[in-house]
Amino acid sequence: MTATSEQIRRVKVRPNYDHVAWKWMRYSALLLIPLVWFHVILQDVIVGVHTMDLDYVAQRWANIGWRVYDALLLGFAMAHGMNGVRQVANDFIKGERARTIMSWALFIFWLAITAIGAAALIGGVRQDFPLN
Amino acid sequence: MSTLKTTLTGYTGYRGREGHYAFLLHRITGLGTVLFLVIHIIDIALVYLSPKGFLDVVALYQTTLFGIGEIALVFCVFFHGINGLRIAYFDMFKPANWSIETERNSTRITLIATLILWLPATFFMARNILIHNYGLFGG
Ligand code: HEM
Ligand code: HEM
Repeated sequence: MTATSEQIRRVKVRPNYDHVAWKWMRYSALLLIPLVWFHVILQDVIVGVHTMDLDYVAQRWANIGWRVYDALLLGFAMAHGMNGVRQVANDFIKGERARTIMSWALFIFWLAITAIGAAALIGGVRQDFPLN
Repeated sequence: MSTLKTTLTGYTGYRGREGHYAFLLHRITGLGTVLFLVIHIIDIALVYLSPKGFLDVVALYQTTLFGIGEIALVFCVFFHGINGLRIAYFDMFKPANWSIETERNSTRITLIATLILWLPATFFMARNILIHNYGLFGG
């Protein structure tokens, strides 16, 4: 019996897009645990939404380290999440053409939202805006 | 339309107990988090695009209704994260252990770990709402 299993030929298959995406979901997940959890515990539980205002964000973003942190969060969480949406959509949408259209639509949506987030991260808080 | 029906009846009709519920919950919590994330990136971007609008949005976040949504969001983030680690661990390091029995046990452990993180967080968030919105505990 062992003889047969030793005769199995190993073939190298070039990883396709979905294989890469499958791995990506798992590696990004390891990074997302510290990134997302620390962010949520800090903002939601320790600081809380009741003490948030423009000053709070301005103070945090005065530190370049937090901007880099937010940039990583923006890049990894959004890419992981949108690829997740693509996975779920693949369950509902059959057919080569429909899937291609769906993937492109999600890609453009991802690009647009990420660009908005990046604009704010680079631009910072516009506090000179006349409040009230 | 027929594929929609097949997929949906597959989601609800299959009776896989723990492993099946973990799959459904992982989907729902992942989709819930990404929905929040899209809204969240836009609301934070308002500090640059329209600071006045940002203050309106924060006021909305401080209402009790959104506070309850926040507590649900934190559950999603904790459960999805721990369950995601469980999936990644079996997939990458112990693929031979994907059996109904280990799936049942590991799903139970995942749920317990989620509750251990989520219940204290809920306590603090609920207390914040009671202090700021209802003037309790000397608020
Ligand atoms: C309701 C709970 C949350 C609160 C109160 C909150 C609060 C904040 C605040 C105040 C900022 C501004 C920058 C800073 O202070 O660092 C921010 C930025 C950000 N948060 Fe959250 N956050 C929450 C949940 C989440 C979750 C669950 C995610 C990821 C899935 C997330 C992803 C981000 C990202 C990507 C940014 C940067 C946005 C940008 O580039 O414009 N947040 N958050
Ligand atoms: C906190 C750390 C996180 C970990 C460890 C994690 C882990 C994972 C893993 C391993 C998968 C693949 C599941 C599979 O292929 O069967 C996945 C799917 C997914 N994740 Fe995450 N994730 C995390 C955070 C997030 C965040 C912040 C979002 C939302 C922005 C998100 C949204 C999704 C979605 C929508 C899916 C697809 C669900 C499905 O295919 O059923 N995840 N996650």
